[in-house]
Amino acid sequence: MTVPEQRRSPDPALALRGLVKQFEAKVAVAGIDLDVPAGSFFGLLGPNGAGKTTTLSMAVGLLRPDLGQARILGYDVWADPIAAKSRIGVLPDGVRLFDRLTGTELLAYQGLLRGMDPTVVDQRSVELMDVLQLGAGNRTLVVDYSAGMKKKIGLACALLHAPRLLVLDEPFEAVDPVSAALIRGILQRYVAGGGTVVFSSHVMTVVERLCSHVAIMADGRIRVRGTLDEVRGDRSLEDVFVEVVGGRTATGSELSWL
Amino acid sequence: MAVSARYFVRLKLRLLANGLRGRTQRVALFVIGAVMAAAAAVSGYALFSVIGVLGEQRAAEVVFPLAGSAVVLGWLFLPLIIFGVDESLDPARFALLPLRHVTLVRGLFAASLVGVPAIATFAATLGMVHAAAMLGGFFAATVELVGLIGGILLCAALSRAVTSAFATALRSRRSRDLATVALAGSAALLGPLQLGLRSAIERADWQGIGHVVDVLAWTPLGAPYSMGLDVATGRLWAVPIKIVVVAATIALLLWWWSGSLEKAMLGAKSGSRERTASQLTPVAQLVPRWLPRNRFGALAGREMRYWWRETRRRATLISFVAVALFLPVLVAVSGGPAGASGAVLVFVAALAAVSLTNQFGFEGSAYAANVVAGVPGRVELAARATGLSVYVLPPLLVISVIASVVPGRGAAAPALIGTVLAAYGVALAVAMPISVRAAYALPDSTSPFAMSSGGGTAKGLLSFAALIGATIATAPLQIGAWLLGDVWLWIGLPVGIAYGAGGLVLGLRLAAPMLDDRMPELLATVSAGSQ
Repeated sequence: MTVPEQRRSPDPALALRGLVKQFEAKVAVAGIDLDVPAGSFFGLLGPNGAGKTTTLSMAVGLLRPDLGQARILGYDVWADPIAAKSRIGVLPDGVRLFDRLTGTELLAYQGLLRGMDPTVVDQRSVELMDVLQLGAGNRTLVVDYSAGMKKKIGLACALLHAPRLLVLDEPFEAVDPVSAALIRGILQRYVAGGGTVVFSSHVMTVVERLCSHVAIMADGRIRVRGTLDEVRGDRSLEDVFVEVVGGRTATGSELSWL
Repeated sequence: MAVSARYFVRLKLRLLANGLRGRTQRVALFVIGAVMAAAAAVSGYALFSVIGVLGEQRAAEVVFPLAGSAVVLGWLFLPLIIFGVDESLDPARFALLPLRHVTLVRGLFAASLVGVPAIATFAATLGMVHAAAMLGGFFAATVELVGLIGGILLCAALSRAVTSAFATALRSRRSRDLATVALAGSAALLGPLQLGLRSAIERADWQGIGHVVDVLAWTPLGAPYSMGLDVATGRLWAVPIKIVVVAATIALLLWWWSGSLEKAMLGAKSGSRERTASQLTPVAQLVPRWLPRNRFGALAGREMRYWWRETRRRATLISFVAVALFLPVLVAVSGGPAGASGAVLVFVAALAAVSLTNQFGFEGSAYAANVVAGVPGRVELAARATGLSVYVLPPLLVISVIASVVPGRGAAAPALIGTVLAAYGVALAVAMPISVRAAYALPDSTSPFAMSSGGGTAKGLLSFAALIGATIATAPLQIGAWLLGDVWLWIGLPVGIAYGAGGLVLGLRLAAPMLDDRMPELLATVSAGSQ
């Protein structure tokens, strides 16, 4: 697998300006401005239903925003979709893969769809299947994969064309510790090579271990943002998160019948 | 404690209401479907009651069992071929609840009666009660009403049992071929019936039809609809026997349904096939050798895999092949007029293309991959048309040849092929914009025939409209064939190909910019409910 060369560009890898999305009566995202610096490992945190998936979907061109702009490495996602989309790799969450293909077929599909040279596709697909321990000769359909394997093949699809920016929605959900360590290693090497990763999560330990920058979302807005150290100060990220989001702590008196 | 069937019905209504809430387009589709169904119901009612008002006892005895049989057969075949069944109450969802099997079957059955098609069918057939009242008074009307209730129960039980059994059979590789044969066979059962009718009509042999109908009135197809008339003619003894026939059929169907229901609840997990490791490179595994190794090849290659590997699409293909083999053969054997086989083949070709009217709904949210990759609409649509054509063009060509050679008109084969290709191309062109503008999400169900609640009727009618539209758009060719006579035998093939290709190009030029403009919206539409 090739890792993108080091390149410093003045544009942020991902820039969101005033993004708004409303579903029927519910405002899912209520105006988001966010800059993800190139070369950063960016964690987007938030409780379930905070609007993380909606925000990332709008950022990569899967969901049309009601208002606002999204730029990827300087290219507007909605005005110049081809230029913007060719530079990102996306792992959506809650979205099916083309799961009636085998893993290798799926990778070949993604590569050709991205307009890559067939020989490069062949070479990288085999390598990715091997590195992610999915088995290069594995002819199982993706629909029969376990949840963790599905995440891994999804990640492989996102990496295949060596994009400058990776947008990953919940990449560690349902992944066993061994695979999670493998994925972490790959992502860290990718960022070290000059790539940018944006991922959403609500698992604080993963975020603290990986991220250089974080933003915390709740109710469709960004509450806190900055480098990991700026946000967490001298406390644990989890404490900051619960305080920002305004969670409820158990007193011990409820559910006494359990 | 038995759970009342009432709860299932209420659950279904609640799901329907929630599905419509705040979605203007769906409400509109639902209303269109309801209005069309109401129109059909009113005209059906009028037709049946007029016979009673005119006092035509014998006419009623012929028409009611015939029309009733048509209704029952419609309930049998239409869900398989076009409309699908409303499976908003997916049996698999009840697997974890502590429900007795009988309760579940009763509840799901009751819920399946609550829907536009069932209500419209019942309302239409109520005209028979009106007629029975005119012919035989109050008691005849009451008996006819009982018969109709039995009739609608029979229709619902039949469509549930058959779709459920077919769905179960499709899941396992072994019984898949068997299911295909069974479907083709049951379609072929219509053959003798139609042949008999045809010859009777041709000879103006009303006596003959009368005999056929008198037999039909004793089968489960016609029995529910002829009870009231028996009272009117004083054959009271027939009524209890017919009631037993209908009730036994319903019971048998429900018993059959409950068996396959159990299998559906145990999960659709088809045993993952052991596949031997392939020596081919990844790209070669996806893209067959005759396709280019680029974006188009990848899309078409994936479509080809999907038509075979996904149960819903496979069911569509198999139903198509069954119809495609059966209809033209029937026409050829029954020796209709020269143009008949052409007209039937045009219909079959259009039917093939119409499978694409909801082509984006098939894969649901997986379409996100294509959106992220920014696939141009032209390539996407052309590749999808290619993927389907690989499967349906060979049977279409074969039946065109058979349909011309068997009646001894082999010389007409090229022209007939031309007509079929024209119809196929034009129908694809009609289906493409519909698939972009009027896509809908399919439920994540175990049954390949499942439709989500609400709007199912309108959506089925949409494919039906596409079918009719495509058939009409090919009419110039058929008229040309008729006017030109022998000249057509020579120019039919090139003209047909040009006509079809022209239609296809037009459809692509119309639909591709539409798709480019609304890829995210299309994704949102087809992935609704699957997240």
